[in-house]
Amino acid sequence: MTRQPKDSPRRGVAAWRGVALLCVSLLGGTALVSTQSAQAGEGQAEWPPRVHAPAAGTVEVLPVQGNVYMLVGAGANITVQIGDDGVLVVDTGGASMSEAVLAAIRRLSTRPLRYIINTVEFEDHVGGNAAIADVGETIPFRAPDYAAGPQGALDVGKASVIAYLTVFHRLAGAAGAAPRIPETGWPDNTFSIPQKRLYFNGEPVVILHRPGNTDGTSIVLFRKSDVVSAGDLLDLTGYPRIDLEAGGGIERMVEALNGLIDVTVPAGNASGGTLVVPGHGRLADHAEVVYYRDMMAIVRDRVQDMIRRGLTLEQVKAARPTREYDARYGRETGPWTTERFVEAVYRSLSQS
Amino acid sequence: MTGDAAGVPLSAAGRWLADSWSPANFDTAEWVCRPHAWDYSLEGPLSQMRIWTEVEQATQKLLAYHGHINQEEQETTIWMDGRPRPPAYALHTWSGFATGEWDGNVLVVTTTHLKETYIRRSGLMVSDRTVVRTRWKRIGDYLQATVIIYDPVYLAVPYIRTTMMWVSDPGMRMDPYPCEEATETAVPRGKVPHFLPGKSPLPGLDPEARDRFATPVEARLGGPETMYPEYIAKMRAFRRPTRSVTGATEFGP
Repeated sequence: MTRQPKDSPRRGVAAWRGVALLCVSLLGGTALVSTQSAQAGEGQAEWPPRVHAPAAGTVEVLPVQGNVYMLVGAGANITVQIGDDGVLVVDTGGASMSEAVLAAIRRLSTRPLRYIINTVEFEDHVGGNAAIADVGETIPFRAPDYAAGPQGALDVGKASVIAYLTVFHRLAGAAGAAPRIPETGWPDNTFSIPQKRLYFNGEPVVILHRPGNTDGTSIVLFRKSDVVSAGDLLDLTGYPRIDLEAGGGIERMVEALNGLIDVTVPAGNASGGTLVVPGHGRLADHAEVVYYRDMMAIVRDRVQDMIRRGLTLEQVKAARPTREYDARYGRETGPWTTERFVEAVYRSLSQS
Repeated sequence: MTGDAAGVPLSAAGRWLADSWSPANFDTAEWVCRPHAWDYSLEGPLSQMRIWTEVEQATQKLLAYHGHINQEEQETTIWMDGRPRPPAYALHTWSGFATGEWDGNVLVVTTTHLKETYIRRSGLMVSDRTVVRTRWKRIGDYLQATVIIYDPVYLAVPYIRTTMMWVSDPGMRMDPYPCEEATETAVPRGKVPHFLPGKSPLPGLDPEARDRFATPVEARLGGPETMYPEYIAKMRAFRRPTRSVTGATEFGP
């Protein structure tokens, strides 16, 4: 080790490296490391540290793992799985973002878009269904010009849209009522059992019905890539939207999150391993899901206790059962506020 | 004393979170392997630490320092090559994303992308919005770490932790520390242990429970004021608890 003047910055550099290398018994190369440290730059570190977030109106792509990517910035997060069979997307974002979403998908793959899976019927998850499905192709199981039979001609010029049956009902609307989205975006491949399974791009894709936000909520497990697309069961930007009229509820949310935990296997120390694409917010893993479940269960238990003690909705709101989570998840304005969440929890438990 | 937060600048939200924490949390299957995150390890357990360098072979430039702590095998990478931080939507980890720069003879490390984690193992937490600045300095054969935690959610002001020292030991032994999720714990699947507001039995929150210093409960609730020596004079004005605590707690009475 070269001796350094007492106050020389490089003396500290060498010392740091000295401890490091002694610990791993790599005693050679002492001078080299100190030189390299000096090359790395000296001075005050940037404060506060800059962390990039997508600008409004732009869609960015985050590789998740295996064949799976996360698109951010289109409203709800979009999960994209690619491979030789084509492209599968989970949710389609808001209607106004479809062009940017399609451009992002095309940066990942030029193979045909085959499937859209909707995790929930909320606008920011299904708004792009029509425009995005329209550029896809369903794999035909008859000749393309086949027109006979009870179903007539098949529309293979669009992607197949998969969702739980009740999602279709709500998007199509009641008879005579205006549909929520154009017909080309309606689910045309529905299921009404606990799970629907595909094998696509060399991996099992398991769609698990997990009612929570509504009675139609599903999660999508990519078994080989080891990724789960969780939809709004996991919203790392706020409290989850619970639509009581659509069959959602706090008990269902907690149980659905428990079900999400069941398929999210950490690699070690409660993290890594299976990765989770949330409905909103950053990429997650087991720990985030468990923290979120814990919060839901604690808020539920508090509101349940208050109901048992005879508190009214206004008294429950005033007691702020979400207080320690509000700085992290609460919202005072917008379509889904803390107050609306507490009200949904209260009404959900009052009904049960 | 379990539940004692004296000296920790908890915000109101941090205080509430701690009030609902139950020690049974450790018996939740999902949390059995929750580690002491890297920065907590610098204060919490006295654990062996190994540090090594990563060098780009073609240019021989230093890319990163890597660190490994024995307890729960926590690892960190301190990037020294000026690379940008990951985007806000990237995964958060127990050790986060760390970059380093030299400030004189001090290595200044700035860490973002952290998970919510312990600040003390008794319900005091920092959120996933935390940024940590660590200042590493060698003093002879000792290594000193000063950790400054900035959390806008559960801390009212930055928390500067007591410096820990490591001694250089060329013969240090590093053992494995694996963890496997336990499924047959005392807490049934799906149950989340916690105490309802005002119902926590933790001795640190009990105004009558006395620790060995007879610390008033006002101090044990923590908060920015309790970090400073001047608070000792104020504390003398509070009533001192008299009932000795008996029975096992995680950290003793």
